Amino acid sequence: MKLLLLILTFFIALTSADAKTYFVSKQAGHILSLKKAIALAQNGDTIVVEAGLYKEGNIILEKSLTILGHNLPVLDGEHKYEILTIHADNVTIQGLKFINTGVASINDIAAIKILDSKGIHITNNQFENAFFGIYLANSSQSRIENNVLTAKGTYENQIGNGIHLWKCEHVTIHNNVVKGHRDGIYFEFVTNSLITNNHSEGNLRYGLHFMFSHNDDYLYNRFINNGAGVAVMYTKNVKMIGNLFEQNWGSSAYGLLLKDIRDSQVSQNQFTENSIGIHLEGVSRTQFESNTFKANGYAIRLQASSDDNVFTKNNFSSNTFDMATNGTLVLNKINNNYWDKYQGYDLNKDGIGDVPFHPVSIYAIIVERIPAAVLLWRSFLVTLIDRAEKAIPVLTPENLKDDFPTMKPYDLAATSK
Amino acid sequence: MTRTINITILALIFSACSKEPEPLIYGKDQCYSCKMTLMDRKFGAELVTSKGKIYKFDDVNCLFNFYNEGTVNKDDYAFKLVVDFSQPEKLINAETARYLKSPGIKSPMASEVAAFESSNPTLKAEWNATEFGWSELEDQFTR
Repeated sequence: MKLLLLILTFFIALTSADAKTYFVSKQAGHILSLKKAIALAQNGDTIVVEAGLYKEGNIILEKSLTILGHNLPVLDGEHKYEILTIHADNVTIQGLKFINTGVASINDIAAIKILDSKGIHITNNQFENAFFGIYLANSSQSRIENNVLTAKGTYENQIGNGIHLWKCEHVTIHNNVVKGHRDGIYFEFVTNSLITNNHSEGNLRYGLHFMFSHNDDYLYNRFINNGAGVAVMYTKNVKMIGNLFEQNWGSSAYGLLLKDIRDSQVSQNQFTENSIGIHLEGVSRTQFESNTFKANGYAIRLQASSDDNVFTKNNFSSNTFDMATNGTLVLNKINNNYWDKYQGYDLNKDGIGDVPFHPVSIYAIIVERIPAAVLLWRSFLVTLIDRAEKAIPVLTPENLKDDFPTMKPYDLAATSK
Repeated sequence: MTRTINITILALIFSACSKEPEPLIYGKDQCYSCKMTLMDRKFGAELVTSKGKIYKFDDVNCLFNFYNEGTVNKDDYAFKLVVDFSQPEKLINAETARYLKSPGIKSPMASEVAAFESSNPTLKAEWNATEFGWSELEDQFTR
């Protein structure tokens, strides 16, 4: 709907009687600089930028214009400048390449910075070595789509976030690729927005970082090999569906770090080969359904500060620890999951195991208290302790159990992509 | 050989007992409260208990979340340190530091507070900020 409206306004702008098109090119006879074309243009006009290398310092746009790149013209910030600053409603930026912005420790220099604006469309652009890539503050009703952002940050302080939103609402981030930034996608105080089908890989800190951002959905994104995975914090009412969390290895790396989250939904996601699939701290009334946890160190690390969560119909396979917790009081429901470590039986053949499964192994509890004990993992002694504890539980929380473990894994392949 | 081992053991014993603050390692250390990896070298804080246990934070509100929780008695800190905004990564005494608070200050956990070794009138005017000392800041972040 939002897209439709944007397209409509775009066409109305195009067809209105006095709308003009300006051509910027390095060839004689044309307007030679984008700055000059912007100065000439009126609201609703279009500027077409032909291929070439443009070094124009900081371009400030305060008119409602459509700027289209033809054959990928390059705007170079010469490692000194913020390239494009937008402070106007209804602006479209399409098909441009932004390279080499400045780097600063106090100001957040960006390739495209959007301030206090509405109806901004950033589509099909490329960004290389930007400090911050696309930066939106106090803006709304905008769409960031099909952009590719690559940076080669080695030190976290020398690189900013790929797509950075601060105090925004109704923004869609769709089908972008972000690599090598500090946080791939960063949301702070952003509400009613969508993050869909993005690919965030090899960023130094988080693939996606989400704080104080309510009522947002993130769907079908891929987060691979980021420094610390994905963090969602101090937020309520988020939907996380169909995402892939993969290869987030390291001592403080998580597939998904959830801290102080309420009334949310985590479903049909795939957690593969992470140090910790999901780490939950202070999470309440959240539904974890139909997720796949495969080959993680810990599939789920549930801190005692979490309550009223439901874990159901998830598949757990080949994880070192399926679940770990630091408390004994259990206020969460864990039912109808598939656990490859389940050794029970199903005499009445209803597909559900007849004895409950305790996903927290005694060794997970020991490691939680004495982290160095992990050295003894897979030793004969540990296997022995595990067997003894299964027979007569002493340390493992008695109530943390799946009463209806399924005998066969759920077929979730169709849902997660 | 035995000497080397002895020295190693001694070194271990002494290192374990030291009550010295540790530098914040940005990009690696995690905030004790919010679990975020420290990134922004203009912000950060550290508490060292009299027994030598070190807690690191990325922002002053994270420090106060822990400080007010009462896990450690407030008299039991050997050091209370914050990072000087104008001298990235430098830890300064939190009790003598001056603090500026303004929505213009984008700190990692949105405390909107920056710390300085001494008053910074230029930035105070630029941000239109309110200035605090440690005790007033403590009041601000105590619920």
